[in-house]
Amino acid sequence: MNKVGIVSYGSYIPKYRISVEEIAHIWGEDATELKNQLQVPKKSVLGLDEDVVTMAVESARNAVNLWDGDPKLIGAIYVGSESHPYAVKPTATIVSEALPTGKEIMAADLEFACKAGTAGMQMCFGLVKSDMINYGLAIGSDDSQAKPSDPLEYTAAAGSAAILIGREGIIAELEGTYSVTSDTPDFWRREGATYPSHGQRFTGKPAYFQHSIDATKGMMNQLQTNPSDYDYVVFHQPNTKFPLSVAKMLGFTKEQVELSLVCRHIGNTYSASSMLGLNRILEKASSGERILMTSYGSGAGSDSFSFMVTDKIEELQAYPFDIEYYIKRTIDINYGLYTRYKGLLK
Amino acid sequence: MEPPKIWREKRQRYLALGISCKKCGKRSFPLSEYCPYCGTNDVEEYRLAETGKILYFTNVSMASNEMAFNAPYCLGIIELNDGIKVTGQIIDCDYKDLKNGMEVKMVFRILARDGHEGLIKYGFKFTSI
Amino acid sequence: MRMNGKNVFVIGTGLTKFGEFYDRDSTSLATEALNAAINDAKIDRSSIKSAYFGFMISNSSPHSAFSSKCLRECNVSIPFTRVEAGNASGAAAFHQAYISLASGIHDCVAVIGSEKLSDFVKNGTIEKILGSTIDYQWEYEIGATLTSLYAMITKAHMREFHTTMEQLASVPVKNHKNGKENPHAQFRREIPLDRFLSAKRISDPIGRFDLATHCDGSSALILVSEDYLERNNGIKNKIPILSSEHSSDVLTLHHRESLTEFKSTVTAAKKAFTKVGIEPTDIAVAEVHDSFPISEILAIEDLGFFEKGEGGKATEAGLTQLNSKISVNPSGGLKARGDPFGATGIAQIVEIVEQLRGRADKRQVSEVEYGLTHNIMGTGALAYVNIFGQEEMEQ
Repeated sequence: MNKVGIVSYGSYIPKYRISVEEIAHIWGEDATELKNQLQVPKKSVLGLDEDVVTMAVESARNAVNLWDGDPKLIGAIYVGSESHPYAVKPTATIVSEALPTGKEIMAADLEFACKAGTAGMQMCFGLVKSDMINYGLAIGSDDSQAKPSDPLEYTAAAGSAAILIGREGIIAELEGTYSVTSDTPDFWRREGATYPSHGQRFTGKPAYFQHSIDATKGMMNQLQTNPSDYDYVVFHQPNTKFPLSVAKMLGFTKEQVELSLVCRHIGNTYSASSMLGLNRILEKASSGERILMTSYGSGAGSDSFSFMVTDKIEELQAYPFDIEYYIKRTIDINYGLYTRYKGLLK
Repeated sequence: MEPPKIWREKRQRYLALGISCKKCGKRSFPLSEYCPYCGTNDVEEYRLAETGKILYFTNVSMASNEMAFNAPYCLGIIELNDGIKVTGQIIDCDYKDLKNGMEVKMVFRILARDGHEGLIKYGFKFTSI
Repeated sequence: MRMNGKNVFVIGTGLTKFGEFYDRDSTSLATEALNAAINDAKIDRSSIKSAYFGFMISNSSPHSAFSSKCLRECNVSIPFTRVEAGNASGAAAFHQAYISLASGIHDCVAVIGSEKLSDFVKNGTIEKILGSTIDYQWEYEIGATLTSLYAMITKAHMREFHTTMEQLASVPVKNHKNGKENPHAQFRREIPLDRFLSAKRISDPIGRFDLATHCDGSSALILVSEDYLERNNGIKNKIPILSSEHSSDVLTLHHRESLTEFKSTVTAAKKAFTKVGIEPTDIAVAEVHDSFPISEILAIEDLGFFEKGEGGKATEAGLTQLNSKISVNPSGGLKARGDPFGATGIAQIVEIVEQLRGRADKRQVSEVEYGLTHNIMGTGALAYVNIFGQEEMEQ
């Protein structure tokens, strides 16, 4: 069988941050308790002239620049998001033109809550493996929305991750992928509604945990692997506590999951969340190491992946605009500015 | 913001395109069919350098309608590392922190929004590295 | 000495008050100015063969309608041409009218400058209108405004020549002092230096009160050639146009080698002085384009009144005040008279003609032999320089 895997990766996180204290102060909540609970001290906020498209382009350009290949060889672009700036007019078309890829390219915007980006990865893996394209670019990009005062407001952040998939120059070879899907109304947003609604504690056990566990177990069962076979594991990160808990439930150690927890610094970037976690591992991983990644998207479903890092990885680890760069460059804003940046002032 | 104009200009705005003259070897911005230095039309598309330094800068607090959403913002004339000069917004920064000669890199941002229902115009801006 | 073409003269001037006239439209203003010019020239209105209208946007009604309506209300049935050169449309119309007379095609024409900018009350509209005087695609649509480009020009001048904020502010202080004596000016009061220095910066270092205000107004001239004067004896108060020159520079600021010199002004001025055979020091009074404090400083340097880099110091030292070394903007300039784009270039000429006729009352400059006007578009992509002399002057 043809080998297929990740050939490059790129990340983007906007510069603005708001702290849990700032938000808690507005709603009279206890910031210390919230921080203990969520383990997210601050979250990233989009600049006034940014949206899902601009973030997607920045992460895609970072992936292409790191790869140093010809973007015209890319045969597909899929952008997963639940906050595309246009309801009709695909983000993927703009990303394609801004790279620029050639015109002969498959492109679509995807929506599956927080796992639309990994759904795009699976599509690219399939297309490359079946020789329909040489390279495919999967992007998860979100400007997460949360109703003011909703618990989500403390974590709903912004960011983008791009994964370039191909069969040549693989840095992390795909060993297998496994998905579970069920009709689970844990979190939703109706057409035209500004903010999502959710089922509070119902988003946990039957939703996030059940699907993440089922997909991960299914994947390991398929490959006959155990948690101890992996050096790193990545889960979707609605907060920092959930991925730590699900890792524990599945028998992974804290050390295996820790590196992936980008959420600790910037909050929940929805479609980009698990992909940014994967990118952070790719920035640090060594040849021969194994990575397990399981995304989760409300509604609900999980995509699990197993990767084997190759000796090509070292060539793609020295890049100035990595996650560390974006985590470090910050401008703290108060809630007043936050309302302007999030477009809450009508 | 008319769709044909947005469409016609998109590549130049997204990719910051100029020309490189095959006859006199000079480069120029923006994209043109003829070389402004020697007049030949034997020119090829050229993508500007992505990094450069600030030559002049100011801030804009009274902006046009389509750009007011972003005001106040910083603006400068940037000399790119290939020697070409362009005008651009310098974003994600505080005006008082800007300095002449400061290094900047090109980023992809929203230039203008046509209200809530119209098109979004994207293009290049600059940010400090 | 006759260099080329027929000699051309201004024989009538008309000017409305400049300001905000919400109850009047462009036609009303233009009609008042043109009628005033015809009456001032004391000619039969059937003598006028053609009209040149200089305006950028006119008002919020369609453009051509107002020119037609104005001519109908003035009871002249003649062809007209609309000339547009951004905020230098007035000077551009004048230049075209001059050419039509110098070439001998016409012997008597009217020039009308008019603009009604108080219609545009929504935030950002004037910025957009002025966006067409700079590189719309690669400056305006990138986020630059005319003000922000002048802010960078100001900073460049401050950096290169150590021009100070006080020197810059002394430009509008002087112009408001002059405007106090001009009955047509929008602002007829002095404004102290501190007020300019302490105002909010809208594009650093340009403060909120540094800009010329975009207002309403109309101005008109009746121009004739020597042919007309030969056939019509007894025309009084005719002021000869000794030269009318026009030059350009690249539109976009980032394409220029220097931000502190407007090549268009330098070139137009050189051509104008060469044609007349005089030096900048021969000019006693000048109306220059002072849309921002730095505009006047650049103008008095580029026109040759002061060395490059000395404009700020000269202004602060009072060398451009009324009846000093050179009287610059005795009318109050764009700053105090107000700036209805198309009307401005012609209002400048009206002022110089009145100065040469000795009819400028309290702002009269003594012993005026030569007067000059200078009007530019945007950041100097186009510049118009005209030199006028005394009635009896040999040409």
